[in-house]
Amino acid sequence: MRKAFKVPVYSSLLNLFMAKASPTQALIGLCLALIPLSGSCDDFPSRPITVIVPFNAGGGSDIFTRIFQKAIRENNLSPHPLVVENQGGAGGTIGSRITKDAPPDGHIIMCLHDGIYTAQHYGNADWGPDDFEPIAATGRSGVVIAVAEDSEYISLAALMAEAKERPYELVFGTNLGAPNHYSALFVQNGKPGSKFRFTQTGGGSNRLNQLIGGHVDVTGFSVAEYAQYKEAGIRALAVLSEEREPALPDLPTALEQGVDATHSLMQFWWAPKGTPRERVDYIADVLGQAMKTPYVQERLSYLQIEPIFLTGEALKAKVTERGDRLNAITIETTPPLPPLHWIILSLTIIFTVWVWREDNHKETV
Amino acid sequence: MIEIFTSPVVLGLIVIGTTLGIAVGAVPGLTGTMLIALALPLTYAMKPVQALVLLVSMYVGAVSGGLISATLLRMPGTPAAIMTTLDGYPMAQAGKPGRALGLGVGASLVGGLVSWFVLWLLAEPMADWSTLLGPFEYFSLVFLAMALLAGVGDSTRAKGLLAGTLGVLAAMPGSHPATGELRWTFGITSMNAGFQLIPVLIGLFAIGKILTDIGTKETKAEESDSHDSSFIPFKHWLPHWRNLIRSSGIGTVIGVLPGVGANIGSLAAYAAARRSSKEPEKFGHGSEEGIIASEAANNATVGGALIPLISLGMPGSVITAVLLGALVLHGLQPGPLLFRQNPEAINAIIGTMLIANVVMFLIMVIGARWIAKLSAVPRVILSPLVVLSCLWGAYALSGRWFDVFVMIGFGFLGWLMEHLKIPLAPFVIGFVLAPVAEENLCAGLMASGGSYLPLLARPVSLAFIVLAVFLLARKENNHKKLRISS
Repeated sequence: MRKAFKVPVYSSLLNLFMAKASPTQALIGLCLALIPLSGSCDDFPSRPITVIVPFNAGGGSDIFTRIFQKAIRENNLSPHPLVVENQGGAGGTIGSRITKDAPPDGHIIMCLHDGIYTAQHYGNADWGPDDFEPIAATGRSGVVIAVAEDSEYISLAALMAEAKERPYELVFGTNLGAPNHYSALFVQNGKPGSKFRFTQTGGGSNRLNQLIGGHVDVTGFSVAEYAQYKEAGIRALAVLSEEREPALPDLPTALEQGVDATHSLMQFWWAPKGTPRERVDYIADVLGQAMKTPYVQERLSYLQIEPIFLTGEALKAKVTERGDRLNAITIETTPPLPPLHWIILSLTIIFTVWVWREDNHKETV
Repeated sequence: MIEIFTSPVVLGLIVIGTTLGIAVGAVPGLTGTMLIALALPLTYAMKPVQALVLLVSMYVGAVSGGLISATLLRMPGTPAAIMTTLDGYPMAQAGKPGRALGLGVGASLVGGLVSWFVLWLLAEPMADWSTLLGPFEYFSLVFLAMALLAGVGDSTRAKGLLAGTLGVLAAMPGSHPATGELRWTFGITSMNAGFQLIPVLIGLFAIGKILTDIGTKETKAEESDSHDSSFIPFKHWLPHWRNLIRSSGIGTVIGVLPGVGANIGSLAAYAAARRSSKEPEKFGHGSEEGIIASEAANNATVGGALIPLISLGMPGSVITAVLLGALVLHGLQPGPLLFRQNPEAINAIIGTMLIANVVMFLIMVIGARWIAKLSAVPRVILSPLVVLSCLWGAYALSGRWFDVFVMIGFGFLGWLMEHLKIPLAPFVIGFVLAPVAEENLCAGLMASGGSYLPLLARPVSLAFIVLAVFLLARKENNHKKLRISS
């Protein structure tokens, strides 16, 4: 109970510092947060709903969540505002663990994309979608596979043929354990016999630098990232959607090129397991109304996010389907990596002894 | 670039940032690193451009402010001004405090402008060039940086190396930067993201400093009371142009090197000026050349340090490490992409560097004597205020008490290191660069199928490693080293 009481206070404070809400609003939020929970389900929400974004402020997920926060606030879609709380780090697993362990009363929810599946599948988290109540899915981004502009591969088909002929030679830059890595794995699975060497290249801008610099042969981007980075000297080979993306009408799908791979990034809202059904439905309804506002429509279209909206049974089916597809994938082990932490610990001990001897020596001289 | 700086808010932030920077620079016991680490949580509420403008202004101010207390009170407010004390105070004692300040402030401006020009000229080509650096090169570059750190500075190589590895060690708990695997978290969920930069920094520098101060006696200021003009006619500058350019150049180059800050820059320029001076015997007894060399160089390190920060994402000093943290907090990734996608952020940094130097010049010329009075604020008042803002700064990061405990823990570590004369700068750089090195090494190994050969087979990587090994294997010459304590 103590925790349930404290978290919103933090988040209101945090909101004050973030100042995405005006100070007065944050102050009102703070005061409201201090009013104890009055119990009955009828007056839900009795205080601001905290949305945990398990990534740092300013990133794609943060921007996405704040679009909804703003739409809900400005259109008075809920008696209390949403409060966005960034809990970044460890590939989203820190924030998702906090949400999972939060009291299931609907006042703490989370916005997290397919990373909730991939972290579990990759082994970075021992919890996954089954440990949450899905509230809604509110957007879908296409994924493209891209090479450097001067690359010899003119199509995905050509690239895959090469990956089959020379297995484990082409380097595929990915963000290991993140949805981006799984897009790459779907592509590899889509052409039996082809094998890539997957390497860790981190977020979008790092992948771009590595691609331009020739340090990786191929990598994946969201459609929005690709639109942003295209001018820097990269070329898309295929989009992994079922159909061509409206934003890139000339770019063929992987399916068209004989590679049986589809993938995309879906944005989901989750509540802790055991959150009452009517509260989940209430939040879903608020999100649905926000979805219809011109502001959300315009922002999503700017970010090249398809404004899908799923709740209830359709959402449940989608959540299960995406999980099943992922489970069909097996991950090959990476080459052995050096146990740097033990090496550094040993070095620290060696240097400590060195310094200690040096100091002693000085005293005796 | 100009659009950013026509906004009154931005100009106001530059004035506030520079003034605060000068103030902490002038007050012994407060440092620029402390100010910037404490201001960082405040900037969450700002737009990225405003945050960068404020922090860079503070950086420029903090490097400059030490001049005032060094000259008037013989107390270097920052390590960067230690060399200025040697000549500034004797000159002030000789009845020319105004002239000493005027020379120092003017030289600071020139140093700032020269290094600004180099920054403006080189940052973008360097950033474009940086795409040629692959994972193996980045790893070797960090290795080189750590080797450089151990070789320079005011402590022995063993202590430098120990500080660096301790910093790397502190970066190890949490999730593996390449695979996300958890290690050394001892089952504590808060440890999953490791120790955060801000609590570590505030702890080491602010709390550690206060703990150190508790055990020492407060130094009494020795004020000189004569008043003369701070205005230096242009023709008095003419004989010094060679010294100005040389010192600014040395400062800029030293600023680029990782881990060596303004104090080493001013020390090197001072030594060079004495070597090529016609009156080397006057150094240390109120030499104009000495003041000019020290002050031009310490301001020039700022521009130098910003070059690798914005082009490679490699911080060259403790303050640029904090700036890197600020960029990342605001969702900006340094490197060539930053020039393309967020030119306003680059313009904010480069433009602020220019304007803040001019603002610094004006504030110092007008307010130097008034600022000197600040140094007289007793520690009894200052220290509790600093502790309070430390607690707030650590907590505000993400509202976790864990960060506050981390800060206190690293405060004790900072105190212990200071006590044992182990330098803090290699620790911070090691802490910041460890994940970069590890992620890149692992990425390289994944791409090479587990082979370490490219580390030596790729020419740029090989060059970095050879240079690093050379630096580490070189014989240590202690007797030539001028010792400065910070």
